[in-house]
Amino acid sequence: MLRKRMTGAFALLVMSCLMLAACAGQAKEETTKKTHAVTHEAGTTNVPDHPKRIVALEFSFVDALDELGIEPVGIAQENKDDVSGLLDKKISFTEVGTRQQPNLEVISSLKPDLIIGDFNRHKGIYKQLQQIEPTIILKSRNATYQENLASFKSIAEAVGQTDQMEQRLKLHDKRLAVAKQKVDPDDQRKIMVGVFRSDSLTAHGETSFDGELLEKLGIDNAITKTVEPTVTITLEQIVKWDPDVIFMAEADPKLLNEWKKNPLWNQITAVKKGEVYEVNRDLWTRYRGLDAAEQIVDEAIQLLYPKKS
Amino acid sequence: MIRKTRLIRLLVLLIVLIGLSSYLSLFLGVTTIRPLEAIREWSSGDLSKETLVLTTLRLPRLVLGLILGANLAVAGALMQAVTRNPLASPQVFGVNAGASLFVILALLLFPALGTANLVYFAFFGAMIGGLLVFSFASVRGMTSLKLALVGMAIHLLLTSLTKGLILFNDRITNVLYWLSGSISDSGWLEVRLIVPWSIIGLILAFSLAKSLAIFQLGQDVAVGLGQNITRIRMLAAVAVVLLAGVTVAVAGAIGFIGLMVPHIVRRLVGEDYRYVLPVSALCGGLLLTSADVLARFIAYPYESPVGIVTALLGAPFFLYLAKRQTKGVA
Repeated sequence: MLRKRMTGAFALLVMSCLMLAACAGQAKEETTKKTHAVTHEAGTTNVPDHPKRIVALEFSFVDALDELGIEPVGIAQENKDDVSGLLDKKISFTEVGTRQQPNLEVISSLKPDLIIGDFNRHKGIYKQLQQIEPTIILKSRNATYQENLASFKSIAEAVGQTDQMEQRLKLHDKRLAVAKQKVDPDDQRKIMVGVFRSDSLTAHGETSFDGELLEKLGIDNAITKTVEPTVTITLEQIVKWDPDVIFMAEADPKLLNEWKKNPLWNQITAVKKGEVYEVNRDLWTRYRGLDAAEQIVDEAIQLLYPKKS
Repeated sequence: MIRKTRLIRLLVLLIVLIGLSSYLSLFLGVTTIRPLEAIREWSSGDLSKETLVLTTLRLPRLVLGLILGANLAVAGALMQAVTRNPLASPQVFGVNAGASLFVILALLLFPALGTANLVYFAFFGAMIGGLLVFSFASVRGMTSLKLALVGMAIHLLLTSLTKGLILFNDRITNVLYWLSGSISDSGWLEVRLIVPWSIIGLILAFSLAKSLAIFQLGQDVAVGLGQNITRIRMLAAVAVVLLAGVTVAVAGAIGFIGLMVPHIVRRLVGEDYRYVLPVSALCGGLLLTSADVLARFIAYPYESPVGIVTALLGAPFFLYLAKRQTKGVA
């Protein structure tokens, strides 16, 4: 009796497995219709033409897709409101873990036809992602402004929206040109973008996303010749390189308050002249898209030239 | 037994080296400081930027390096003496990892907590880490191999917990720099914080020095001679927790000093812990200070965490030690 029932259950199981496999096979066939090759940071991948179900593992990729009129089906984020803050609107998507630790099972369950990963964070899991579905790896985190622009272009090529990309880039250049007119070319002030953490200060140097962007507008960075786009620096180094303006992208009080008690803090030109500003942390350190770039520029110019804008 | 003249010669050499490395630590870095000018300004009371860098940043950094280096080396020497195991050190014993884990936990649960209170969490974590390793490794007699294996396992377990906490809390990814061990952002505040605990720990350690000799004879002999083994062990453990805990609380997990220094020192002065402990303290301070100077120049003008430098120096030494050990056994 029991055995019979077991056999029945087993047969059912086998059948459902077969059916599932058949369905999966069908899904595969559909996506493998037409592809084009996209060269990226980790190799070359055949991406289906006009992919519809895209998983984006960095915010700037989400922004890029949004600019091209595509809503990703899966996004990695840390906080519930990260994506709505980034895009300034609510979209529906599935969370696929954090950017640092994306959940491969969830990604796989979404049956995406394209996964976009970040060179800095995801090059280590490129092979695993590639096994799920076509994956391209592009630069975003700890990458320069130009590298982020290049990533935008690659995404547009991958999804076959190059016309829209070119239009958007033209608009971007126009907006930056307008912003540049507000910058006084004789202004000698050097800025520092600092992320004041509880135990250390990370500065975004002249090759960082925001650093390079502002340099492009003629706003000089005090942190030059860095090995990496962002570097950890000490109070001694700030005093030595003496920025005229400090943008605080994060201002954790722990280390900062200790520094403020040091007489050296008041020797920094930015502090002396009262040009220390807190700026939007997400915007300056996490988003890194075209839209973020334009907003950073606006925020910087408003703070640097309060009368003109 | 080391002869007196040799000991004196060694001490003089160490003091000269410490003087030299202190000089470099004070005057080398992104800011160029001229010693004579600094002294003149200091006596006149009109301080320039350079002199302020010297008095408010370089000097506390030097003091911190000397004391924390001493702490780690003495903690390592104590552990090696009590366990009679050449591989014992705050790192191998899970003490550093335990302290790090609890400091991170504290940061997560009570974000407003100041460094002064973090010390207690570090002490507690150091104790937990050490106890875990000790209790597992001493089941049916402790051997070097068992200690190394259990120690590594617990170290990795605690470290993975720490990493897990960091991964799932975007807010505390903040502490990664501290975790790899650094004294570059320290000022007088940290010095004031560590001095009392370090002094208590070091005095306790030195007061045990004579009794530690007895462990070299083996536990049975020690008991036979009427030594209260458990009491000495407990006191040594308290000293280790104080010394390693306070170090982790302000500078993160700086590895390898506790492991390396006692070995070098025993080579130099023999097995008598009345000499081993103080000389270890001097060598530890010297090593950490020198590593801190090096850390400023690896990626000049940017600084690297000093923990990376000590690991760079320490890892080959550890391998050498392991090789020598296996030879001895075979």
